[in-house]
Amino acid sequence: MRYILRRVGFFIVTLWAAMTVNFFLPRLMPGDPAIAMMARFHGRLSGQALQAMEAAFGVNTKASLLDQYVTYLGNSLTGNFGRSLTFFPEQVSTVVFGALPWTLCLVGVTTVIAFLLGTLIGMMGAWGRGGWFDSILPPVFIVLSAFPYFWIAMVAILVFSVTLGWLPLGFGYTNGSTAAFNWHFLGDVLKHAILPGITIVITSIGGWILTMRNNMIMTMAEDYVRMARAKGLSPARIMFDYAGRNAILPNLSGFGMSLGFVVSGAILVEYVFSYPGVGYMMLQAVLNEDYPLMQTLFLFITVAVLVAVLVVDGVTVLLDPRTRTGS
Amino acid sequence: MAKRTWLMALLAGASVLTGLGTASTPKAYAADDGGTMTISDAQFLWTCGFSPFNPSSNFLSVGLVYEPLMFVNTLQDAKVSPWLASAYQWSAGNTVLTFTLQKGVKWTDGQPFTAADVVFTFNMLKKFPALDLNTVWSALSTVTASGDDTVVFTFKSAAVPFFYYVADQVGIVAEHVWGKVKDPTTYLDGTPVGTGPYTISHCTPQDVSYARNPQYWQPGLPKIAKIEYPAFTSNPPANELLATGQAQWGGQFIPNLKAEYLSKSKDNHYWFPPVVNVAVFINQTVPLLQNVAVRQAMAFGIDRARVAMIGEYGYELPANQAGIVTPTFATWLDKAQLTKAGYAYDPKKAIAILEKAGFKRGDDGTFASPDGKPLAFTIINQSAYTDWVAALQVMAQQLKAVGIKLTIQNLAGSDYNARLFNGNFDLAYAYESGGPTPYYEFRQWLYSAGSAAIGQAASTNWERYSNKATDALIDSYAASTDPKAQYDIMSKLQNVMLQDVPLIPVTEQADWDEYSTAQFTGWPTPEDPYAQPLGGYTFPDWGVIMLHLHEK
Repeated sequence: MRYILRRVGFFIVTLWAAMTVNFFLPRLMPGDPAIAMMARFHGRLSGQALQAMEAAFGVNTKASLLDQYVTYLGNSLTGNFGRSLTFFPEQVSTVVFGALPWTLCLVGVTTVIAFLLGTLIGMMGAWGRGGWFDSILPPVFIVLSAFPYFWIAMVAILVFSVTLGWLPLGFGYTNGSTAAFNWHFLGDVLKHAILPGITIVITSIGGWILTMRNNMIMTMAEDYVRMARAKGLSPARIMFDYAGRNAILPNLSGFGMSLGFVVSGAILVEYVFSYPGVGYMMLQAVLNEDYPLMQTLFLFITVAVLVAVLVVDGVTVLLDPRTRTGS
Repeated sequence: MAKRTWLMALLAGASVLTGLGTASTPKAYAADDGGTMTISDAQFLWTCGFSPFNPSSNFLSVGLVYEPLMFVNTLQDAKVSPWLASAYQWSAGNTVLTFTLQKGVKWTDGQPFTAADVVFTFNMLKKFPALDLNTVWSALSTVTASGDDTVVFTFKSAAVPFFYYVADQVGIVAEHVWGKVKDPTTYLDGTPVGTGPYTISHCTPQDVSYARNPQYWQPGLPKIAKIEYPAFTSNPPANELLATGQAQWGGQFIPNLKAEYLSKSKDNHYWFPPVVNVAVFINQTVPLLQNVAVRQAMAFGIDRARVAMIGEYGYELPANQAGIVTPTFATWLDKAQLTKAGYAYDPKKAIAILEKAGFKRGDDGTFASPDGKPLAFTIINQSAYTDWVAALQVMAQQLKAVGIKLTIQNLAGSDYNARLFNGNFDLAYAYESGGPTPYYEFRQWLYSAGSAAIGQAASTNWERYSNKATDALIDSYAASTDPKAQYDIMSKLQNVMLQDVPLIPVTEQADWDEYSTAQFTGWPTPEDPYAQPLGGYTFPDWGVIMLHLHEK
């Protein structure tokens, strides 16, 4: 119980610190929203109209930083994130919740797939160390993960969309189709998710393989694995339930972190594939000095990562009896 | 054992899911009679709001959903054609502007369009200055209706250039809809009620779909049934959609246009009519740059043709020091004066000017003033514009040859804007917005009232040029509709550019426009420049183009 309380306390302090950084970091960037707005008008707008617009947009840089900070904390806690400047006059919450499902589905599912596949390949590679499986798959994926994502995605588009014409070259679904929960639309969404999904998986799988394979090799030398062999258990059972279960623990905390980062989307993926997700929103927010949107997105990411870490802590306690007796 | 099956099941599930996607190929959406136009240019994700007063999305609605009073064509010497108004007239020393409205125009909800709607629209701009994007109320004093079909605009003083803003740039909205809106500045307007040829049939952040307005007041128009305007987040997919013929109209930069676009089909065409200059803005408050000899030497030392060729792949034309964009505004150019000033590329002359002004060349080849200050300047630039980055490298080499050292600072957008507007630069590579005649760009460049002190954001005139005689010239243009008088004023303003060199126009900003004639014809061309093309960005022009296009 004390362990859990300590974790929750840590969660709250980290959250406050992160929110504070969220607030001040964008304000340290050069330029300000008023200038960004002026740039958008390219000199057509005179002083009075610009001031009126600043007021409407809530870009009041005259208020003291402390006042802005207190308002920001209060608004964040009550879920009032204000209006986005980039997507004016849309509410930030509408913008974010419109983009979040796309990102959660695409990046979330691919992160899970990459983790499962990577873990499995790493496990099997280590099991048959030096065999044909181990000498082909792990090195190939590790090399692939060293490639720049941009390049892999472009090549994939060039081959599968442009040359072969099998898959769409971007977007979340076919333009002009109405979003609805029917097979036709879901199939359409899936088809559009294949290329970005596969590119994410093949570029991120290498890391999981590498750590899993190394952990697995360590645990395979443990006495309990030798014991299991001596008892004559089936190789599959030894691999999954004895060596694998222990080897997966370090990978699990990494997985928790990356689940947290799912919320931040994959900026490059969404950029290359014109995918209507959160990552692209974040890029726009930064480019347009859209403080309300930027702060909200960063807040979401922070909370998601912290929650994921909290959950992973809990899961580790369940999976690994040693953490329970240790404290 | 249990854990393994769970893991396997998930893996199997994933592969089934991916398999499903390939199996069910979505059918192409059948085009209605009249065809579907797909526009492909790089943009950010859409906000599904269509308020004609929201600067970041009004180009989506003005011209298509909302209509202005009249159309002013930038590419045909500000030629005026009727739109919601059938005629206009200036009177009382160009202070009173009267519009006669079309008859039988209806809003898409069936209500009739009247003069009261026009008066309401403009009075709303007065009440909410944040909506008044062109600041028309800085010049207006009243807008009144007389009868159902006449609207009278009264200006504080003669205001001829404001015709463009009042007639062409403001989309008229319905009083019975917008009158109920409490705060129009934050009104999204997701389902707009307009008078225009199209309505919004569907919108998501990824795509806006337009459908033909079946009750449009111009009989038989528009001919194209649907418009799809997908949002791209980067250029390559937008380029691909154009090249593969899935989109018929584009407005973005395509590197190697010949191979990547034109060669893909004989029906693929382009036309890049220029309307404004890309120029070197010279900060008039920097002591060394206050010396006109230095500014003139730079104007002689830049080989504009070569910059356009290397930096802009030859798609942009070289500009001239008079500041008149040709061929678009060729009739305004005072050729004799330009020839006499002779600002052709001439490095020898540039050196001669500097030597005559008392500058001495140092050991490293850079000129220095008599009190030892070297002619070394930094120029700020948008790092995102790769063509500009290349253009400046060419320019730096050319200026080095005439003994002027140029340090290029490629900055991110926000940093660049802040320094440009606050006057925190020696030289800046930039462009101003234009209008239907060169006057608008000159006013942005040279009118001292548009500027601000160094350290304060100036909305225009970033180089901080200030000259009373020039201001008076700019003011006097507002008083006359006589072409001859206007030409004379513009000629004198060109003289300012040639003698004072407050900035150096280098290339003519190209408006990228790619289109396919495979399915649709009736595009604007150099022979028939009936509206400014540039994909969907130029409003209300792209509404005019949609009214001209039809299926083959």
